[in-house]
Amino acid sequence: MDHQKASDLFSDYLDGTIAGAAKSELEQHLHVCIQCRTELEGFRRAVGSLGKLKKPAPASFLPAIQNQIFTRSRGRFFGRRWKLFGRIPFEWVSLAMIVAMLIYYIALQHASPAGVRVAP
Amino acid sequence: MSVAERLLIGRLKARDEHAFNDIVRLYGDKVFSLVYRMIGNRSEAEDIAQEVFVTVFKTVDGFRGESKFSTWLLRIAANHCKNRIKYLSRRHTDGGELDDEREGAVLTRGGSPLQSHIAAPDVMLEAAELEGLMQVAIAALEEEHRLLVVLRDVEELSYQEIGEITGLAEGTIKSRLHRARMAIKEHLDKHTR
Repeated sequence: MDHQKASDLFSDYLDGTIAGAAKSELEQHLHVCIQCRTELEGFRRAVGSLGKLKKPAPASFLPAIQNQIFTRSRGRFFGRRWKLFGRIPFEWVSLAMIVAMLIYYIALQHASPAGVRVAP
Repeated sequence: MSVAERLLIGRLKARDEHAFNDIVRLYGDKVFSLVYRMIGNRSEAEDIAQEVFVTVFKTVDGFRGESKFSTWLLRIAANHCKNRIKYLSRRHTDGGELDDEREGAVLTRGGSPLQSHIAAPDVMLEAAELEGLMQVAIAALEEEHRLLVVLRDVEELSYQEIGEITGLAEGTIKSRLHRARMAIKEHLDKHTR
């Protein structure tokens, strides 16, 4: 195995995704090649350093988003759905109106004009 | 997707403010970290990360649970980053607005006569300086390589998750990631010797 082929396998080797003959061949090469061992060590150090770069969000992060959503939606985004005249679904309003009109119609049909006498 | 996550998404779709807050608490650090490492500037990163959550909230009804919620969220974050990088490059500000950490790296790299004999590079490279150096190395990568390095080595996602976020095949991810890692190693070697 030459240096180039060895270095091409560094990522797989660190990720543990190399096995069998390829892994043995690489390890044999590393055993005898100080240049590749040094390269691998540098590679490992670089990848390891990347793992320490997590950056937590600032403490003001959540309030800032809440403020942005509140401003953009003019305060109508959260929790207004079930309040009177808030965000009642249109379908519900339509259904209620249809039912009300039906009840009114039925009531009109059944309202017998008992006290009304037809003129002779 | 776990039952708890499914319930949380359900509450989010019902516009439950507490669910939204929980989502930001759960994933805020991950999103901010990804964006910050992609962009390299704190105030820009804050703006973009906030925008990511606003987008999530606006489009959560379209989330069908075919992938993990965090994967979907990070895909949105990655797209926001790409758009911002393109926008910034059009404005010719590319590489000129990194944070103070970069300054630390530049100072280290500069190696003043006073510093040069104080201690070995390993000792001199304190955590903040190393972070700055790494940030410069990441910023020097192509946008796609940068995303892969951040997703895999900073955020420690699996290749499958990275594939779902980027839409790239595993083989492509691995080969590009290797090139990116080698470039970072070269950068680190060059500036710490």
